[in-house]
Amino acid sequence: MMAFKRILAILIKEAQDIRSNSNLLVMYLMPILFTYIWENFIPDMPAGFGAAFGLIFLVVMVGMYVPSMLIAEEKEKNTIEVLMLSPARPVEIFVGKGLLTFITIIIISLIINIMVGLSFNIQLIIIIATALTSLFAIFVGMIVGMISPNQMSTGVVGLPIYLLLLLIPQLSGIGISGVDFIARFLPTYYYLNILELTLIDRVAISDLYIHFSIIAFSSFVIFALLLYIYRQKGLLD
Amino acid sequence: MLIKVDNLKKSFGKRTALNGVSFKVEAGQIYGLLGPNGAGKTTTIKILTGQRRADSGQALLFGEKVFGRQEELLKKVGIVPEDANLYERLTIEQNLTFFKRLYQCSDELIDFYLEKVNLIDEKKTKVKSLSKGMKQKVLLVRALIHKPEILILDEPTSGLDPASADSLHKILLDLKEDGITILLTSHNMEEVDKLCDRVGFLHQGELVASGRPVDLKLNYSDNRVKVLYYSNEAVEENLVKKTLQLDDPETGKFIAELIQNGRIKSIHSLEPTLADIFVKLTGRNLADDGF
Repeated sequence: MMAFKRILAILIKEAQDIRSNSNLLVMYLMPILFTYIWENFIPDMPAGFGAAFGLIFLVVMVGMYVPSMLIAEEKEKNTIEVLMLSPARPVEIFVGKGLLTFITIIIISLIINIMVGLSFNIQLIIIIATALTSLFAIFVGMIVGMISPNQMSTGVVGLPIYLLLLLIPQLSGIGISGVDFIARFLPTYYYLNILELTLIDRVAISDLYIHFSIIAFSSFVIFALLLYIYRQKGLLD
Repeated sequence: MLIKVDNLKKSFGKRTALNGVSFKVEAGQIYGLLGPNGAGKTTTIKILTGQRRADSGQALLFGEKVFGRQEELLKKVGIVPEDANLYERLTIEQNLTFFKRLYQCSDELIDFYLEKVNLIDEKKTKVKSLSKGMKQKVLLVRALIHKPEILILDEPTSGLDPASADSLHKILLDLKEDGITILLTSHNMEEVDKLCDRVGFLHQGELVASGRPVDLKLNYSDNRVKVLYYSNEAVEENLVKKTLQLDDPETGKFIAELIQNGRIKSIHSLEPTLADIFVKLTGRNLADDGF
C-alpha cells in the first residue's frame, strides 16, 4: 500500500528543490511566455492558436522533461540509492515526482487559460484534456529518466520522442500523408485536436469523448510499459 | 547476533565477487571489513541491505533474510552507502527533514545529532556549500535520525582529510558507546585498528582472516623485539639499536646479560600492523586495485 505521508514528503522535497533549479524553472516559464508572445505580438494569429501552442508545449515538454530530469538527476548525483534504502517504495517515489509535475502543469494551464480569457466551460474541457495528456507525458518522461544514466542523456534519449510528440501533431493536415498517418497514433495529436475544436470551433465536451478515450487508453498503455521497464531495469542501474 | 553473513557467493558474469564469505557481528560491536577496491566489500553491503541478491549463502540482519523484507528490516538500519549524496540545492535541515518524513520519525534526533557533529549552526546552510567532511557528517546524521540499531557504513572516511576523518572516528566510537552495532568497510588499516572490535580481511571475494585486531597481530607476529642498549659504558655515544628474533635461544641469554649489566635502555616488541598482516596474507598492498 502506498503511504500518503511518504508521497507528500517526496512532493514537498521536489517542490523545495525545484525552486532553485533554474533548468526546470525556465522550462515552466516557456509555455506562458510562448502563449503571451503568440497571443500579443504575432499579427493575424487565429484566436486561440497561441494558447494551443503554449498548452501542447506545456504538456509535452514540461510533462516529459521534468520527471525525466528528476529521475536522472537522482541517479547522476547518487541520491537514489539512499532513497531506495529508505522506507519509500519505488511506486511512492514515482507518484511523488509525477505528482509535482502534474500539479504544476495544471496550475500553468490555468494561468494560460486565464491569460487568454477563456470561459469556464472551455477551461474545464481544456483542464480535463491537459490532465489526461499530461499523465501520458509524465509516464513517458519517467521511462526516459529510467533509461538515461544522467541528466545530459535525457536529452539524447528524450529529444526524438519530444519532437515526435510535439511536432508531428502540428504538421499533420498540411498534406504529408506519412505525417498524417503517424499523427493518428499519437495522443498529442488528439490533444491538439481537442484544443483546436474547443478554442477555435467551440465544440461541446460531448463531441470529444472519442478523443478523451484515445488519450486515456494511450496513458494506460504507456503506464503498462513504464511498469514493464521498471521491472526489467529498476531505478538503480 | 545482529548481522550474520554465511557462505555468501556472488558472481558477475565470469567474475567472482564473493566466494564463500562468512562473518558475524555481535550487538554493540564495531566490525570492519577490510580490503582493496574490488575485494567484494561493497557487494557484501549491497547484499546485506537487499540491493543485490546472492547466488548462494545467507545474509541476515536481526536473524532474518533481508532480500524481500527490506522495508521492514531496513527501518532498524542506518546506511551510508559509498557514493551516497545529499540534495545539494536543499539545506542540511531540509535534507534531514525529508528523510525524517520518509521514516515518519520525530524531529528531536535531528538537532541532537547535528549538535553532536557540530553542525547545528549550519543547519540552514545549503548542502552545495559544505565541505566533503561536513557532507559526510550530514550523511551520518541522516542515517541516524530514525534510531537505527545497526549502522552500515561503506568507506565512511574515503576522501576525507585527517582532521575530518578523526572527528568522524570519535562520533562512531560515541555511537558504539550508545549501543549501536556498526559494520564498516574500509581500506584504511589505521582507521579499522582504531575503531573496530573485530575485523575481516577480504581479498578477491574471500575472507582470508578475521578476528580481534590484537589477536590477529599476535597470531601473525614474527616474534621480533627491538632492543636499545649500551655497547659499553652507559653514555649516549655507545647506544646501539638491534632487532632480535625471540625464538632464537641466544636472544634470551643476550637480553639477560644486558639486564644483569644494566646496559639495556629499552625493549619494544615489533608487532605487525594490520596492513603488514594483509600483505603477508595476500601478497598485495591495500592501495592496489582489486581486479
